[in-house]
Amino acid sequence: MRRLRPIISIGLPLLLWEFTSRMGWINNFLFPPPLAIAQAIWLQVGPYGNPPYAVLFHVLRSMVRILAGIGLALAIGCIVGLLIGLTRWGNAIFKPVISIIVPVPTLAWTPVLLLIFGIDDRTTITVVFIAASLTIIYNVVAGAEMLSARVFWVVRSMGASPWQIFYKLIIPGIFPYLITGLKLGVGFAWRALIAAEMLAASSYGLGFMIFDATQYLSMDIILGGMLLIALMGYLLEHVILGRVEARTTGRWGVQVER
Amino acid sequence: MPNAAELRKKPAPKLGHPSRRFRKAAGVVQFLAPVLGMLVFWEFLVRGGMLNGEIISAPSLIAARALVLISGAQDYILFQHIWRSLYRALGAFVLAVALAVPLGFWLGLSQKAYDWLSPPLSLLLPLPAVAWTPIFLVILGHGDITIVLVCFLGAVFPVLYSTIQGVQAIPRHSIWVLRSMGANPREVFFKVLVPASLPALLTGFKLGLAHSWRTLVAAEMLAALSRGLGFMIFAARQYLDVHTMLMGIVILAALGFMFEHLLLGVVEQVTVRRWYGSSRERA
Repeated sequence: MRRLRPIISIGLPLLLWEFTSRMGWINNFLFPPPLAIAQAIWLQVGPYGNPPYAVLFHVLRSMVRILAGIGLALAIGCIVGLLIGLTRWGNAIFKPVISIIVPVPTLAWTPVLLLIFGIDDRTTITVVFIAASLTIIYNVVAGAEMLSARVFWVVRSMGASPWQIFYKLIIPGIFPYLITGLKLGVGFAWRALIAAEMLAASSYGLGFMIFDATQYLSMDIILGGMLLIALMGYLLEHVILGRVEARTTGRWGVQVER
Repeated sequence: MPNAAELRKKPAPKLGHPSRRFRKAAGVVQFLAPVLGMLVFWEFLVRGGMLNGEIISAPSLIAARALVLISGAQDYILFQHIWRSLYRALGAFVLAVALAVPLGFWLGLSQKAYDWLSPPLSLLLPLPAVAWTPIFLVILGHGDITIVLVCFLGAVFPVLYSTIQGVQAIPRHSIWVLRSMGANPREVFFKVLVPASLPALLTGFKLGLAHSWRTLVAAEMLAALSRGLGFMIFAARQYLDVHTMLMGIVILAALGFMFEHLLLGVVEQVTVRRWYGSSRERA
């Protein structure tokens, strides 16, 4: 019974929707039946879509953008975060700047970026970068500040070179916080990406797909696209990064304050 | 045990050193100095022609534009934009709280309800709130209602989940003790449930307000008709009006900061810290 419960509590409303929509009791233009939605999306996935393989291209484009943005954010975020957390000059210079940028909603930067880059992949990737890097920096700083000085003194007194200290003390020390920051950052970055794709009106991308569909009032594409967006967000944040988190911090038993 | 953060701080000053207030003021100046330095550097770059002033304008011009928009010459339009944005974000937030808190209490207290309703809710959770905008654009068109609904959806989930967690964390013993002394459900509710869940509720409110505000900016860019900060920033793009765009960003930052620290910080101070702070001291 317990395994059936999620199936029933999700399936029953869907069934109701399908039934009432096909009977015409609810406006079936605004709420097309779920099977019709699935059909429309499936059509767009294959070679008979408009353009061919449309949905695949949209999903791929979004994935490329978010991976590029997150990769950049990881690299730069780690460096800046370590500088802020461990050095006095890094803290003095970077922390005020970051603290001023953080309260700005990420998407407010989109029009400025549109002016600088135009309607280009770089706009969306930069938005993803801003969203993810701020989160990663915040968490890496928290991790770096938590490093124990006593262990550092011990290791140094045993004659460790700076390189060894970096590899064996600092990196493992901040790793749990980095993973948490990465997970949160991916979540924020996905949300920012979808909205940025709607605004930056480029040619492919999940956000663009559902926003473009409003021009043609194709509710089935919109609803199907929303499901895809939710699915991809869940995959990215919980499945992929959840597994990484479970295998690393979960296994090592380090609890991280969120 | 000292950690990197404490090592990074300078050692405490000895006796006879200037007073605490001076140190605090010095701290503020030290915080602002890099920012001011950056602003001056920025101005320099633009005036020197190294940064394209068409695309990234000088801070002085941004400030001048802000003054113009505040003035009566333009019907105080900046205030109209700010007021509209605040109205939408706070309205959506209030609606979200009105729905999420009772729902959260119900789901937190009743295991059965939680088991049944949790799957559909967790299906909707990973969906970014902005993704609801196209649906509402088709059904309701541009305007206030669309934006408020989108922000409502953005704010409702954090508040709901924080409430559920807060209610589920209430120790059952407190409830049993009160009931064994003959309290009726209303007294149990007001004397145990509400105070015990309040810290989690306030955390949820903070998160919900922040989400509502962030979703507001995106939703206004997509769906607003004539007023609102997001709309102002996005519309300025058509006239290549960089001053207004950057000024809008500054205002957004200031308002976001204000929400976070002042508004909810005050509420938290008056309630949670007063009630829980004393018990922490005793322990």
